[in-house]
Amino acid sequence: MALTILLIDTDPERARALEEKLSQTGFARVVRAEGSDLTAAVEAAKPDLVIIDMALPDRDALEDIRAVSAASPVVMFAGTDDPAFAQEAIAAGVCSYNLSGVALQDVRPILASAVALFQRYRHVETELAAAKALLNERRLIERAKAILMKNRKMSEPDAYRWLQKKAMNESRKLADVVAEFVAETENGQRETKP
Amino acid sequence: MSEVVSLKQSRSGTKLRIGFLRLTDSAPAIIAQEFGYFAEEGVDADLFEEPSWANIADKLAYGFLDAAVIVPPLAFAIELGLRGVSQKLVIPCNLSMGGNTVTLSRDLALRVRELANKGGLSTAHALAACLKDRDQPLPLGVVHAYSTHNLLLRYWLATAGLEAGREVRLSVVPPARAVEALQSGSISGFCAGAPWGEIAQRAGAGLNVATSDDIWRAAPEKAFAVRASWAEENPESLKGAVRALVRAAQFCDAPENASYTGSLLSRQKYLGVDSHAILSSLPGGAIAPDNQSCFWRGAATFPWRSHALWFLHQMTRWDLTGDIDAEALAARVYRSDLYRAAVAPLGLSVPLADCKSEGAHSTSWRLEAAPNPIVMGPDNFCDGAVFEASPAPASF
Repeated sequence: MALTILLIDTDPERARALEEKLSQTGFARVVRAEGSDLTAAVEAAKPDLVIIDMALPDRDALEDIRAVSAASPVVMFAGTDDPAFAQEAIAAGVCSYNLSGVALQDVRPILASAVALFQRYRHVETELAAAKALLNERRLIERAKAILMKNRKMSEPDAYRWLQKKAMNESRKLADVVAEFVAETENGQRETKP
Repeated sequence: MSEVVSLKQSRSGTKLRIGFLRLTDSAPAIIAQEFGYFAEEGVDADLFEEPSWANIADKLAYGFLDAAVIVPPLAFAIELGLRGVSQKLVIPCNLSMGGNTVTLSRDLALRVRELANKGGLSTAHALAACLKDRDQPLPLGVVHAYSTHNLLLRYWLATAGLEAGREVRLSVVPPARAVEALQSGSISGFCAGAPWGEIAQRAGAGLNVATSDDIWRAAPEKAFAVRASWAEENPESLKGAVRALVRAAQFCDAPENASYTGSLLSRQKYLGVDSHAILSSLPGGAIAPDNQSCFWRGAATFPWRSHALWFLHQMTRWDLTGDIDAEALAARVYRSDLYRAAVAPLGLSVPLADCKSEGAHSTSWRLEAAPNPIVMGPDNFCDGAVFEASPAPASF
């Protein structure tokens, strides 16, 4: 018997990947829904399970789904008897609601795929953010060095050492010191301009 | 000017992760963080903007958050395990009073207002008159089943004989989605916290027909809930956090700070909405205020056990709890002892009793407090009811 799964995710690529993966198992029928009116989506799809991105405020509406389908119990995380699994799901940014009371062992492989996929996307996101931060830091250091070389006639290595020393003296991160230095210099220049 | 306040920090204890939603009354937590009050009080705090009450509840329950700016009925729901895994919580201080609006679609609101003016009716009775010939229940949104909004709206509707499931149909619409739901017509009105009613008004989608004050003046709204285990393990940090929040509440309540607070809250990482819409709900932020939060005046930060009991009483009234021992639960969660211990070094006046008569005052009154009495505002209900909580039990 195929389980009907309502999938609510704003990331279309991730939703598509998860839909594909779940459909391959052969016992899951995936219905995708956009935000806004979840109550209507639940009424239309009559899912056994709802998998939802925790970044969506619509979860509040799902909590009150009893109002629409009084007959089917709403169980969060398809079984709150496994706190470690629920914890893993929350950390990955996914939450699930079991609407028709299917047992945990039946939906566990489905939920596990969702959690794994969310974890992978989160990992990619974190890496991207780290790479962006690093790039920004390098750009600011170059900018700060250029300011020092121009305004104080320092050589490039001297300028870098000056910044490092400033960070050490203030016992702060180089990135923070550089960002502040660049911002202050550039604001100062703007203010002194006629 | 740099916004970073650099301070000599003597931080003790572990990190305090605080969750909040995009609402005006998250202000005390945001101010305490931005102005370094938490750091000055030795608290290593981090703020997390959460998209929904469900997230706040789950993250508290599973220990991903240590504390939250919360609607008290949800804190009780988490404590009782009514919506998932249960987690013991304590409320060492309240954070705000008032600030909610009952906002109806423009056409309906205009009819309600006209009828209220013409017939000298309350807006609740005018709404009842408007709904008399309707065969379908009016769809209204509340922000969560376990919210102050659900309880206040039901209370207000009931004064005019309107009931959920009969004349109106209540559904859950998260605050940040309320305006679009009103515009799309999927709901005809909602009860939500500021600034969402004001945003609906500015968008031309709806008009406010009642506020928290019209239902219960000086109604408790947001509270600061902390996981009981965190509170036990970090007693000094907890006291520091309460002090930081109380200081922030004083800042937020000062009219001269309204525009500053409004623009700080409007930042993308906090509310991410027009600062003018926020401003009108801050004390001193509007010349003719329609709906305002109160953060400090009238002992707003004190965790009244009588407030806890009123919430539990209403939750039971609408069948939102099972069998509970309200007295014991209120005493376990609402911890005036923690509040008193925390604010003592600040030399501020603190109420002597843990309970007061709710709804007994229609004008300003004097509250017994030490070292000095506190001037309190009116606290009457729209139906004139008085809620008497029995005296506090001796032990926890």
